[in-house]
Amino acid sequence: MEHKQIRVLIAKPGLDGHDRGALVIAQALRDHGMEVIYTGLRQSPQQIVQAAIQEDVDVIGLSSLSGAHNSLFPKVIEELKKHNAEDIPVIGGGVIPYEDIPPLEKQGIHKIFTPGTPTEETALYIKRILQPEQTSSLTPPEKLAHIGIAVNSIEQALPFYTNALGLRLTGVEEVASEQVKVAFVEIGETQIELLEPTDDNSPIAKFMEKRGEGIHHIAVEVTDIEERLRHYKEKGISLIHDTPKLGAHQSQVAFLHPKATNGVLMELCQLEKEEE
Amino acid sequence: MTSKYENQHAQWEKEADQVTERFPERKSLFETSSHITVERLYSPNEIDKTYMDKLGFPGQYPYTRGIQPTMYRSRYWTMRQYAGFGSAKETNERFRYLLDQGQTGLSVAFDLPTQIGYDSDDPMAEGEVGKVGVAIDSLADMETLFDQIPLDKVSTSMTINAPASVLLCMYIAVGEKQGVPKEKLTGTIQNDILKEYIARGTYIYPPKPSMRIITDIFAYCQEHLPRFNTISISGYHIREAGSTAVQELAFTIANGMAYVDAALASGLDIDQFAPRLAFFFNAHNQFFEEVAKFRAARRIWAKIMKEHYQAQNPKSWKLRFHTQTGGSTLTAQQPDNNIVRVAIQALSAVMGGTQSLHTNSRDEALALPTEESARIALRTQQIIAHESGVADTVDPLAGSYYVEKLTDNMEKEVTDYLQQISDLGGAVQAIEEGFMQREIHYAAYQSQKAIEQREEIIVGMNQFKIEEEVNEELLRVDEKLEKQQIKKTQSVRTERDAIAVEQALNRIRKASQQTTINLMPLILDAVKAYATVGEICNVLRNEYGEYTGM
Repeated sequence: MEHKQIRVLIAKPGLDGHDRGALVIAQALRDHGMEVIYTGLRQSPQQIVQAAIQEDVDVIGLSSLSGAHNSLFPKVIEELKKHNAEDIPVIGGGVIPYEDIPPLEKQGIHKIFTPGTPTEETALYIKRILQPEQTSSLTPPEKLAHIGIAVNSIEQALPFYTNALGLRLTGVEEVASEQVKVAFVEIGETQIELLEPTDDNSPIAKFMEKRGEGIHHIAVEVTDIEERLRHYKEKGISLIHDTPKLGAHQSQVAFLHPKATNGVLMELCQLEKEEE
Repeated sequence: MTSKYENQHAQWEKEADQVTERFPERKSLFETSSHITVERLYSPNEIDKTYMDKLGFPGQYPYTRGIQPTMYRSRYWTMRQYAGFGSAKETNERFRYLLDQGQTGLSVAFDLPTQIGYDSDDPMAEGEVGKVGVAIDSLADMETLFDQIPLDKVSTSMTINAPASVLLCMYIAVGEKQGVPKEKLTGTIQNDILKEYIARGTYIYPPKPSMRIITDIFAYCQEHLPRFNTISISGYHIREAGSTAVQELAFTIANGMAYVDAALASGLDIDQFAPRLAFFFNAHNQFFEEVAKFRAARRIWAKIMKEHYQAQNPKSWKLRFHTQTGGSTLTAQQPDNNIVRVAIQALSAVMGGTQSLHTNSRDEALALPTEESARIALRTQQIIAHESGVADTVDPLAGSYYVEKLTDNMEKEVTDYLQQISDLGGAVQAIEEGFMQREIHYAAYQSQKAIEQREEIIVGMNQFKIEEEVNEELLRVDEKLEKQQIKKTQSVRTERDAIAVEQALNRIRKASQQTTINLMPLILDAVKAYATVGEICNVLRNEYGEYTGM
């Protein structure tokens, strides 16, 4: 997917003249492919916000080494609100004592970077908040793990798959956490999972109560399932499970809400790592 | 066999004896812990032309080995800690504390509004009052700042540039009130506007009128404040902005030459003003390179003053300098490590023959120093002076193959840069074209990349990291201070003679475009009438315009 270039405004609020950090970060962000506008010294919050709006930037970076951050950084946020531009995230850096950071973040500064932060970290942070889908170190799922079909009885359903279609049954097991018995039949690179409820209150039983037998979910094989769930959550994707649960074959699984997937229940499935 | 070079040695001995009559050596006998005698000076057995050209004896041209014949054997460098925060009253208390602790000179940090010529109640000053230094609006604040500090007994360095004329006049006025005549005042004003354009950012007016104010100060001080250093030509901030050691030295000397040129153009005599020019350098991490830098600085300046400008007075040839350890080398992580960094940096300044020294405090990557941190910083200097023995002989690193070669290399590279700047038309032109700024930013970015790629190791920051509790006790400037300061200044405005202020400001306005009139006496009158820093600077701002950067 093609993305427009990130535009950043680096600004020096107040009277502080130390702009080494501002200039270095500007250069580093340029090297990360961003377009950077540097305001120069002695900018009032009004001037900064005006420049941000005029230049149509995606993010504002403030730098202060004079101790005036507590009064000047929140003023920039206020000014953004006045102009209905508070959707432009503001980050900051400089000589800022640690205990000033929580109040500043509470007042709407996205993040404060203290001395010694690698420029790389700042650049990645900006990319992450602006282009989360691009910057995640998570690789996209590469494989459909299985398609889950809800059935009243595996025993009755199975012959169609094994006899008529001639697919190979690879295993049957009970997944206690889901109150379900499952059978896997292999089809090329992927599998079909037949799910039979073992309890009337199991999710599969409830599903069939409403919709009858049929396709229940599709499962994609993933890596880094925990981080992936965190990442999706940050991005506002509705999850059924925030953390993975134990699934069939000792795999770790979690479900995304159908709201997030146009009505299809989607399972993330991380296979147990094989011992090397 | 006696040669003319050996005569130089005899000459040095004679001068050293003369000096020790006035300033006796600290001890009658200097010894190591094993009772080995430490001589005043160690030199090669054969004094030849190369030695005399490159090094010379201490106190002799080209001053590579120091500007005095006995250096720290008689008197240590001046331990001068830069301080100032909040109100004049608080800073006065810190000053008196530091003097009680054995500090030998004062160094005033002003807040940013003062440095840029805004009063505390100016909208531009919001949030900045008293933050990085003391807020001075009117003479009333200056009186409080030096309350119970006799100006004939201390020397005071003031980090003030664009409004240097105003603050110097306030200092003169406080002296007068204490009964100390101008002639007796000693100290330094930074007054170096060129490096503000390059690196530090507290400029007000464009270069041309700024240079005029500076030469007015030179002329006035030559006549009335003969013991005051009229400028401190600063490489410190250039280095902090990310330059290399060579760039720090080259750009500082180029700026120095621009001031000399401006003073000559205004009709001043070189041997009158040049002895009052002072320098200010950074002491950074690489120990030997820093020592070489300081030694090369003296040699380069001496040659320029003698050969290029044809100054006759040996005092015009001597580069005297203040040093501050490098603020940007301090880490926010594991701040106690900074004590060690500062000690090594300070040692390089002493090995390089500094005249005065500020050592940074361990917590300055996070905030202004607490009293405890400031004390450790001062103690660091005292340990170097009193315990290490490094001050017992003059220029102890001379003759080291490495240090001498580095000193030569430094001189060569600086000379190349000076040529480039001269080809561009001099420092002012080079600054206006952004040449120095570009060179510095390139160096700063390269060094940042080296740190991030761990080609350069910063202990505790990109290696040897630990989980840290962030429970530092930091100095906080009271946020109420801004309101109190505004109130004080507004009450000064109602109590003073408004007509006298108006008239004094008008006289400055009228004289501002006439270069034949020295602005200093007019500013002194205005200051005595309690005109504020902001009012005086605004008159000139209206007349000269503001520099808006590149």
